[in-house]
Amino acid sequence: MVSNPLALIAEVTHRCPLHCVYCSNPMQLAGTQSELSTAEWTSVLQQAGKLGMLHAHFTGGEPLARTDLIELIAAARAAGLYTNLITSGIGLNEQRLKSLVDAGLDHIQISFQDSREGSANWIAGAKAHAHKIELSREIRKHKIAFTVNLVVHRQNLDHLEEMIVFIEQLNPERVEIAHTQYYGWALANREALMPTRAQLEKAVAIIAEAEKRLAGKIRIDSVVPDYYAKYPKACMGGWGRRLMLINPSGKVLPCHAAEVLPGLSFENVRENTLSWIWQESSSFQRFRGEDWMPEPCRSCDRRTEDFGGCRCQAFLLTGDAMVTDPACSLAPAHSIVESAVREANSNVEIEQPVTATSFVQLQKLTTDVWSYRTNPE
Amino acid sequence: MPPPADGSQPRLAAGCRWGGPDQDRVILFPEGAIKLQGTGLQILERCDGTRTFSEIIGELQKEFGKTDPEKIRADTGLFLEQLQRKRIVDY
Repeated sequence: MVSNPLALIAEVTHRCPLHCVYCSNPMQLAGTQSELSTAEWTSVLQQAGKLGMLHAHFTGGEPLARTDLIELIAAARAAGLYTNLITSGIGLNEQRLKSLVDAGLDHIQISFQDSREGSANWIAGAKAHAHKIELSREIRKHKIAFTVNLVVHRQNLDHLEEMIVFIEQLNPERVEIAHTQYYGWALANREALMPTRAQLEKAVAIIAEAEKRLAGKIRIDSVVPDYYAKYPKACMGGWGRRLMLINPSGKVLPCHAAEVLPGLSFENVRENTLSWIWQESSSFQRFRGEDWMPEPCRSCDRRTEDFGGCRCQAFLLTGDAMVTDPACSLAPAHSIVESAVREANSNVEIEQPVTATSFVQLQKLTTDVWSYRTNPE
Repeated sequence: MPPPADGSQPRLAAGCRWGGPDQDRVILFPEGAIKLQGTGLQILERCDGTRTFSEIIGELQKEFGKTDPEKIRADTGLFLEQLQRKRIVDY
């Protein structure tokens, strides 16, 4: 008998007003027409509560693009779930924020692309930075938890200290400093995003200092980039061990990227219950436990800690989802990661932020650097 | 942050709240949940933002009459300080 999932990740839409170059959404976005209805999401949230899940993380795309978000938050609270909104803040004003809080929103997480406006808007492919600052002030008027999420990479790491001071002024309880992970759009843009070893080492020292200085005021969670780590990350806490992700069209996935894996078909909440999918579906059992593991994982002491690393990364880098995550220094295919690291360190240049009068023009001006995330049909 | 002062009024931080069924109460917070039993539960049930730290200590000292009162004060202070660092408790 498998234990209950702990949390639901509700990717309520893939529509987004931002075009972040490190977006974790799949490059094949779910179309607007196929999105689950309010009633379908309500049923999913009720099932999640009954399955013993404790948290519902609303994400996207931009969840605020759904006009029924207030109803969905209320439905999650009614199902006994702790509600977290992961957002760019675009589409949120004073009044809608108040309605969300009244509906039972517990926690809001706003992403910032940089402390410098020009750079932030360049990375996001949208003029969003100023609004986020304004919104952060509004959030502090309410009794909800506030986290700032900062995605760091080659283009902004050189002023990490400045970004931390900037975030301090926004007065959140928490900041998550997350190095870019290379899936979806971020993998396509890896060359422009991957930090050098020198950048990384400096960042580790800055974060350690900030943790000390801000202890009791702001809790800092930081995610180490796995290309530079000795062992792989325990992706999602292990396949089918803790989390269920529902994509905008109702597909149930063990993680954000699993749809890239060939030969696996994922169930849909329109056809099956969450409980059945968690306990019985072949997709959730595929890499659960240790039976599927190859060597060196199978006989490795760390197999119960990192579960062989990330299946999607194994596939994306080697073409085979069955092998040890190449981020692991013990993996037979580790040379792939080593060569990406070597390449990243052979060039220490960073780009100059670009401004443009429209998104289309910005795309044109930056084609040599990266591709922006686009929107679903 | 130092441990709570006598006159401070410990409480759950913004966005942290009780959840779970009655027999299995948990504190829900952004990154997860803590299942509380025994002393931890007795401390946090009193952190209602009204009672002062010294009132909470007084109640716990009555409850655990056999334990050295100074140890109760030190342990409770440390417990709340740790939760404060995790931004689950404010005082």
